[in-house]
Amino acid sequence: MRSEVVTIERGGTTRGAPAKDRTGVRVELVECVQRYGDVAALDRFSLAIEPGELVALLGPSGCGKTTALRVLAGLEQIDAGTVRIGGSDVTAVPPNRREIGMVFQAYSLFPNMSALDNVAFGLRLRKLDAVARRRRAGDLLELVGLSAQSGRFPHELSGGQQQRVALARALAVEPRVLLLDEPLSALDAKVRAQLRDEIRRVQLEMGITTLFVTHDQEEALSMADRVGVMASGRLQQLGSPDEVYERPVNAFVAEFVGSVSRVPATVGAGGWVEVLGGRVPLPASQSAFAPGTSVDVLIRPESLSVAPDPLGFAHVVRRSFLGPVMHVVVAMPGRFELLATLPSSSAAEIVVGSAVRVEASGAPLFVTAPRETGA
Amino acid sequence: MTVALRVQQRGKRARRGFHLGRAARTSILALAGAYFLVPLLASARYALEGPHGSYTLAAVTALLHDSVLLQSLVTSLEIALGAAAITLALLTPTSVWVNLRVPGLRRSMEGLTLVPLVVPVVVVVLGIYGAFPSELVASPVLLAFEYVVLAMPYSYRAIDGGVQSLDLHTLVDAGRSLGGSWAQVFCRVLVPNLRSSLLGAAFITVAYSLGEFAMANLLSFTTFPTELYQIGTEQVSEATAVSVFALLLTFGVLLALSVLGKRSRRTSGVAGRPVEDPLAGVAADLAAEVEAVLGRADPGRPGIVHDGRSVP
Repeated sequence: MRSEVVTIERGGTTRGAPAKDRTGVRVELVECVQRYGDVAALDRFSLAIEPGELVALLGPSGCGKTTALRVLAGLEQIDAGTVRIGGSDVTAVPPNRREIGMVFQAYSLFPNMSALDNVAFGLRLRKLDAVARRRRAGDLLELVGLSAQSGRFPHELSGGQQQRVALARALAVEPRVLLLDEPLSALDAKVRAQLRDEIRRVQLEMGITTLFVTHDQEEALSMADRVGVMASGRLQQLGSPDEVYERPVNAFVAEFVGSVSRVPATVGAGGWVEVLGGRVPLPASQSAFAPGTSVDVLIRPESLSVAPDPLGFAHVVRRSFLGPVMHVVVAMPGRFELLATLPSSSAAEIVVGSAVRVEASGAPLFVTAPRETGA
Repeated sequence: MTVALRVQQRGKRARRGFHLGRAARTSILALAGAYFLVPLLASARYALEGPHGSYTLAAVTALLHDSVLLQSLVTSLEIALGAAAITLALLTPTSVWVNLRVPGLRRSMEGLTLVPLVVPVVVVVLGIYGAFPSELVASPVLLAFEYVVLAMPYSYRAIDGGVQSLDLHTLVDAGRSLGGSWAQVFCRVLVPNLRSSLLGAAFITVAYSLGEFAMANLLSFTTFPTELYQIGTEQVSEATAVSVFALLLTFGVLLALSVLGKRSRRTSGVAGRPVEDPLAGVAADLAAEVEAVLGRADPGRPGIVHDGRSVP
């Protein structure tokens, strides 16, 4: 990774200067409503992003996350609500005047322009003189590691290179907000991981407020300062990656972020839940369930232990080797399956078809009424 | 039979097949070429034939001194280029708008643009004539608009095919998010990427306009085809020379447009510089031609014989 920092200032480029003096702006979407016929893509959606922060919007297809991003970009007009950038109401401001930079899911480079000219396009619209324009575009291409490809046309670049150029192009116009609409989804896994780090590095260096939309939770959790989980046009939870992963506010978030197994259980007296033949503590935040109530307990794979036991009622259905850990799927007598993650070193005796004993350890992730699937 | 022998024989058969294939292709090409070239050469020979088997350029020389013919040629070129400019100016934004904003109307638009094919020419002529401002019905601008409509079934498809091949939404969104107004995105992003389609539409319109006779005759305009017809009724050998010349002229105009397009493409490919809206240059030229046509829309202009109001 290059240690040199390129800060972009209005009217010129200063190479090697630290970017910490540059601060992003606060972005707010307040009670936004966007309807397509009877379908509400955004249903009183509110989100606030702090200056310089990277927020990832995560959710299943059709949950409204891309609509939220396009509303912020000004590419969609909302039916109700307010959009503020840097404290100013920009709800009625067209996209070309919102000072945003955007990277799209589809390769969006202009096919008739070289990489350099693509990056310089926004500067050209701002009537920056040709020399300054080319110098700044060159600096940004260097920032994304593509100086050698500056003269190439989009069809001569790989997918990853095209998205790098698109990122440089979005940053060239010194946007107040950077919007990333699933920019990595069309790339293969290795390039995706590299570019993920690249985007985060550049975002931190430039200190730019960023909204990143993705359906890939690994991307969201690894890159973002905060993660927003969306469903049905509403923000279900907004919090730090570990908060969303470890303390989901509802069953939807618990099941969408990471993997969980849903296990039938019964609430016992004294703040316990009886599950898998044992007892685990009922989370304090979910003490509303009366003793004796049948519930479903959501348990992370790493909270389950699986041990060989010839007298065990469960048996191993399949196992997947993932390097340091192994995923083991176990069939339980009640016709449900559990997913457990075990250290590979201790899973040698867990073979497919063998009888095993399964135990839950620690407090469950979430306790919910049986068969509840939504928030 | 050894393997080597079998391979050798198979190779011979393959070579024979290859030779036969090439021979067949050459024959078909020769026949097709003859089909087009023989009448052309016969016409040229007839036009150049003098008394007692000699050859003379008299017919061609006579053409160069026929001011009415030359004027009609200029008029036809102006109308053709004007029609192409109007076509591009009207249909390109329309196709972009339909594909971007109301894709549900795409089929309707395709159907609508086919109307000139099913409606008799005289109906189209009268429809446009009736809708045209009275001060312009006597000018060649009327004819340019008529040709825009009549060439629309082909020109719209050429443009629309290009528009549909672009990732229109992404390009427009990218251009807008980078600070481009609608006009800037249209001119600097979309038009350069539609160059081939737009040139195709321009070719079709120019070719159609240069060769159209019925409507010009109906509206009593003196264009190149009507003048050609007029000469043919009196001097057959001159008319034949004009026909050959017209063919070469049309070919030359289309070639010039094609070379222009290729040069723009080459410029962008070698230097890596932004394409300075290659077709915008063509469009600007065409627009200038339209302006020239509009500017010269003088009913009393020498060389243009017209009586716009004598339409039945």
